[in-house]
Amino acid sequence: MDVRAQVAMVFHLDKCIGCHTCSVACKNVWTDRPGAEYMWWNNVETKPGTGYPTRWEDQERYKGGWKVGKGGELGLRSQNKVDAFLKLFYNPNQPGLADYYEPWTYRYGDLFDAAGGDDQPTAVPISQITGEEMKIESGPNWDDDLSGSPLYAENDINLESLTDEERAGLFEIERISMMYLPRICNHCANPSCVASCPSGALYKRGEDGIVLIDQDKCRGWRACVSACPYKKIYYNWKTGKSEKCILCFPRLETGQAPACFHSCVGRIRYLGVLLYDADRVAEAGKVPNDALVESYRSCLLDPNDPDVRAAARMSGVSEEFIVAARSSPVWKYVMEWKLALPLHPEFRTFPMLFYVPPLMPIMGKIEGGIYEHDAKGLFGDFESARIPIQYLANLFAAGNRGIIEGVLKKLIAVRHFKRVQGHDDVADEYVKRLLREAQLTPEQAEGIYELTTIATVQDRFVMPPIQREEAMPAGCSAEECKGSCGLGRTESPERGG
Amino acid sequence: MISQPRRLLTTPFWTGITNGPRTYSAYCQNLEERIPWRTLTGRQHFYLDHEAYVAFGENLPTFKPRPEAAKVTRDLEKSRVPGGALVLNYLTPHGKWGIHSTYGDTLRMKTLSRGIEPVWINDRDAGLLGVEDNDWVEVYNDHGVVCTRACVSARIPRGLCFIYHAPERTLSVPKSPERGGKRAGGHNSLTRVRLKPLFMIGGYAQFTYAFNYWGPPGVNRDTFVVVKKLARPEF
Repeated sequence: MDVRAQVAMVFHLDKCIGCHTCSVACKNVWTDRPGAEYMWWNNVETKPGTGYPTRWEDQERYKGGWKVGKGGELGLRSQNKVDAFLKLFYNPNQPGLADYYEPWTYRYGDLFDAAGGDDQPTAVPISQITGEEMKIESGPNWDDDLSGSPLYAENDINLESLTDEERAGLFEIERISMMYLPRICNHCANPSCVASCPSGALYKRGEDGIVLIDQDKCRGWRACVSACPYKKIYYNWKTGKSEKCILCFPRLETGQAPACFHSCVGRIRYLGVLLYDADRVAEAGKVPNDALVESYRSCLLDPNDPDVRAAARMSGVSEEFIVAARSSPVWKYVMEWKLALPLHPEFRTFPMLFYVPPLMPIMGKIEGGIYEHDAKGLFGDFESARIPIQYLANLFAAGNRGIIEGVLKKLIAVRHFKRVQGHDDVADEYVKRLLREAQLTPEQAEGIYELTTIATVQDRFVMPPIQREEAMPAGCSAEECKGSCGLGRTESPERGG
Repeated sequence: MISQPRRLLTTPFWTGITNGPRTYSAYCQNLEERIPWRTLTGRQHFYLDHEAYVAFGENLPTFKPRPEAAKVTRDLEKSRVPGGALVLNYLTPHGKWGIHSTYGDTLRMKTLSRGIEPVWINDRDAGLLGVEDNDWVEVYNDHGVVCTRACVSARIPRGLCFIYHAPERTLSVPKSPERGGKRAGGHNSLTRVRLKPLFMIGGYAQFTYAFNYWGPPGVNRDTFVVVKKLARPEF
């Protein structure tokens, strides 16, 4: 057993209001630089929708992540040695600027300098890349709130395995529904970006599992941009290096939550330590799609088990991390309650960020002109859900509907469990049956309620001190790295004369 | 105040209690300090028994259909409706990221909002106009004109369109062909003030003016506009 510690996150999607405050906080802190204008290490997508970069989930187009080969072995979908060599000078799987968007600003000076005339002047949009006047035709959240749109939502790849009837419902007025999906780098346990890098610049930090790009070693091959199925690595056209979400490690190392977490209005984010068995990660990624969620869960180790703690010490996990793992909100959501699920586990990178699927827009519907949750009782009517269960299964369970139904049953049971405490319109017996069917104890239901609704930041952010000074590789002293704004030392490549 | 904005006092006209770390919530004073609601009955009530309200049929909050453009609002008496254009009801609701004078014209917020405050329009209405998502449109009536891009959404009901308030008139505002090539306006160029007779009632229980307490209403839904495609925006 090779026990590793991972700093992991949970997003509770019922609480996400799609305000993009996380994106703005991240952008202001990390990517407000020349060459990084188009990058949004954190972005928020409207689902159903096409996302950023557009249709990033389509691996027929982008060929990211891992796949199981003919011999049952796990291989990169693209950017293995042969593929990378053949695509050295032309890589059709690479997203282009049009797939992201052309960043713009306005020629503000015109407001002051325009020639005299009858009209007040206006500042026209200009490209941040070329400085030329441009038409704004795309943005980082171009289909924001546009669920039900034939141009965007209908091209969501997760709709492909839905029946015609399920699809039609999503585009019918008064049935249209949507949810938000905030995304950062998943800091995967089996990152395909790290595997693809020809320069060995990408690495997963030993002490906390944060995936980083060494800016000295990166030669700008961009294999990682193709190989990451979440399209969360971005090429900086100014420095000639690739960049990605660093999970705000300079903030984590000083005891602060990541900027996206810290600014979250809906308090949807939870951050804590998970222990996992690194020896089993590759094997766990070889099972069929519908077994993937369970398979990945089986790699996560219970920090309350003394044997696991002993093994963790043997593997060099610090005592502080082991202690923190025992009060990790992420462990509760992912393993104890089994509410939080990985995004697109079928990409087989074992993402270390987890999502609690939303309940509210899914179950609500209009019945005879009245908004109701379910005319037939709140259970067992997943067939008429407003967003088809299959859609959520395609997002969070590699198509396995049973996993999603299990989560939604728990969410419904908790709501009834709390309802009966303050009102008498639900029968006690009914609530007991809901809990039993959802496989929840009353204590668990109370715990879910507390961590979901009234948890303080100390409950949601449980982070031990990171022992960077112990894990720091020789040759990179703390003094040297100081003040380097998290990107390490950057030396631009020499080009031409 | 300058170095760090902070709350000053619990205002007498608002009913929240914002002392210490508490956030504003309405009617806290009435509930916790047992202050009667400032109505004739001292309670919250929906029914208004004033004779003018009764005469107007507004003594109870009830559904009222959208007003008619030609007979009631008369926004389009001097504006032409060319072929291919549509007459739509026009609203200026709170935006996704701010209300009233919240400043949203920063580059960051503009980047998250298509670089402009678009006019939201139903997909089938847009089809009638020959307008696709992100095409330029000209929106006008007797009061003014707005030139902006369309955000085509199936979530908008047919027969109406809206522009979130409140963008400034500085970024990416084309000139209006319909109005002789003059610079187009902002969302409020299309609206007008309508004084509702009921708001002239005074000195009667809660119908008494006080700052931040009783003022003129918005004219929600009471405006109509002509929308047509703008093939080539000129700046």
